[in-house]
Amino acid sequence: MSEARASNPVGVPRTYGAIVWRQLRRRPSAMASLAVIVVLALVAILAPFLGGDIPIRWVENGRASWPIFKHLANLEYAAMLAFVQALLLVPTVRLLRWRAEVAGGSPWTRAIAIHLAVWVLCMTALEVLREDRLSPPSYLSRRGQAEAAWFPLIAYPREPGFAELQFKDAPPSWQHPLGTGRSGNDILVGLFYGARTAMTIGFVTVGISSLIGVTLGAFSGYFLGAVDLVLMRIAEIFMCIPRLILIILILTVIPPGVLSPLWTVVIVLGITGWTGTYRFMRAELLRIRTEDYMTAARALGIPTWRLLARHAVPNGLAPILVGATFGIAGAVFLEASLAFLNLVQTPSWGEMLNDGRQHLEYWWVWASAGGAIFLTVFVYNLLGEAIRDAIDPRLKV
Amino acid sequence: MKAYLLKRLLLMVPTLLGITFLTYAIVRLAPGDPIAAMIRAQAGNIDPKVMHADAERIRERLGLKDYDYLGDGRIDGLDKAVGVFHGYGRWFRHILQGDFGESIKFRTGSSPSSRNPFLLFLERIPVTLTLNVIAEIFIFLIAIPVGLASARRKGRLFDRASGVALLVLWSIPEILAGTLLLGLLARGGLGLPWFPVAWLHSPNSDQMGRLAYITDMLWHAVLPVACMVYGGLAYLAKLGRASLLENLRADYVRTARAKGVPERQVVYRHALRNSLIPMITTMVMILPGLIGGSVIVENIFSIQGMGLLVVEAARACDLSVIMTGTLVYGFLTLLAVLIGDVLYAWADPRVRYE
Repeated sequence: MSEARASNPVGVPRTYGAIVWRQLRRRPSAMASLAVIVVLALVAILAPFLGGDIPIRWVENGRASWPIFKHLANLEYAAMLAFVQALLLVPTVRLLRWRAEVAGGSPWTRAIAIHLAVWVLCMTALEVLREDRLSPPSYLSRRGQAEAAWFPLIAYPREPGFAELQFKDAPPSWQHPLGTGRSGNDILVGLFYGARTAMTIGFVTVGISSLIGVTLGAFSGYFLGAVDLVLMRIAEIFMCIPRLILIILILTVIPPGVLSPLWTVVIVLGITGWTGTYRFMRAELLRIRTEDYMTAARALGIPTWRLLARHAVPNGLAPILVGATFGIAGAVFLEASLAFLNLVQTPSWGEMLNDGRQHLEYWWVWASAGGAIFLTVFVYNLLGEAIRDAIDPRLKV
Repeated sequence: MKAYLLKRLLLMVPTLLGITFLTYAIVRLAPGDPIAAMIRAQAGNIDPKVMHADAERIRERLGLKDYDYLGDGRIDGLDKAVGVFHGYGRWFRHILQGDFGESIKFRTGSSPSSRNPFLLFLERIPVTLTLNVIAEIFIFLIAIPVGLASARRKGRLFDRASGVALLVLWSIPEILAGTLLLGLLARGGLGLPWFPVAWLHSPNSDQMGRLAYITDMLWHAVLPVACMVYGGLAYLAKLGRASLLENLRADYVRTARAKGVPERQVVYRHALRNSLIPMITTMVMILPGLIGGSVIVENIFSIQGMGLLVVEAARACDLSVIMTGTLVYGFLTLLAVLIGDVLYAWADPRVRYE
């Protein structure tokens, strides 16, 4: 107790989230898996800087330019900004908490709201002001003309053409640390870009489904009665819908020009995957709605939406976190399987594994792709398990 | 019990209606024309004139005749919404009459003219179910002892090692495991050609005796089943451990120990039996996952089950087959949930049939 006081000099009461985080920090497995996830996210975001044929800096005829920044897509800038903002979240909370001595209110909600607003603002500006440039000129073949060129870590075209075919099926070497595939593609570069697909699938899918699940679960558990009955039936329908088959159906129906296959998968997985979150949230709300603080809040005349958003839902979020973490692992799994079966055409680890399965003697292909999928799924499962142990009430301080 | 079953069966009806409606609405409201995609996918295989006649017929049977598939905005939003219900009604009436549309790619084995997608699935359900049932049995046979052993050695080396090993097993993607098993244990070249490469039966299995037939099938099933077992096994063993630990902490176990019941009996008679209850529910929870997962396994090992059918149909844009597939899979999942609930009620006397 005295330790808690010492690390908490402001006197803000220790929240449930703080307790869970403290438990989590004690577990090396949780910290290690978090570190790996951050590295994977960094690799995904910085993929063009790690491998590819667009130079970062290019000096020709005495004029220096930064081609890579010209050719990054808006979406890539959006991801970078989101990553930086995620890192800035804790400092922002500190800042708000320091001010909170004067103002009061929950610093986390505010910090997230502020960052979300900043992100939306920046992205709108970017969308208005800037258009994506496609098909950059080939810099790699003109390397000799440049006075200076900084290329990505692995300077090699991402999608190899006819010229690269001569390097196909090469074992790991200095030029290609993980070897090349059957069309002369560099495996490591493939892994970098595959990380993007895996991260997108994982985060966006689980983000969508958690949002739906938490909202509906809160309604269901708080209002009960007819709302609960209807929502439960809907959840039952969604639970029985075979997700894999549904995705296959939708990929068949939607023409590829309308929506990219990756986003189709993300949206379908997001919209169908909320039932687990929903059931957890509903169960939590059933418990929370009878708590004293809820009665007190109701007696104070706090409007219902505020009651739910500020008091009920935050207290039921911890179990959702476990499901979400496992959900990310599941989504990565499913996307890799779809790509493996050639049902979605995206740069993906599953697709690479499919490329490698005919020739097991080129072990670097399947080992890299399979290893990447395994590592990602393993890390998320490890983290999910650590969080589950951390929120176990028997361990609470 | 009878009343409970009847009630549960009746409750399945709205859920099934929901699944069918959702499936139909997706096909109908998606941008683009699925039948056109089907024609494109079949281009070159079939005479265009025949194809267009086929397309019109399929449109009619799937209830897709009167909708705005040109997407030129001639039909506005409200009409579109009404059209979904109309079309759904028509499609559903066809289904009730046993007409699931027609496959453009597959013919059913017995009669060359039949292209009923439902019969296609009927032919293949036994294969998928056999694989799943064998897998489920093995999952249980291995998971319970492992969970039991690690719960009784809580915190010791075996418990920790098995914990990590199970998490690793759980995280190995099926696509990697299948590829490696196939490459190392079935195909020649790099590995050892011990097991068959594909299919669930040998080509000459018709002439075999009953015993030889079953041995042959089991032989073919070793690798696919291994591929389906390890993930669920890891999950269930972890759950069994947690559940047993929970029960070993319970008051009734303390009472049993206090009155001098031997430790073996405390564990096997009392704690284990009670901890099986959540495992039964979980078994049913993983069944849909297994059925879904067998899509991947069937594709890797070229086993002629439902999963292979659906994926092949998807590659050919064979809409009727995939729509039927959604229904069949949904129905099987519903059935699994029902069986699970009944088993649960049977195993746990606290649950009453109401």
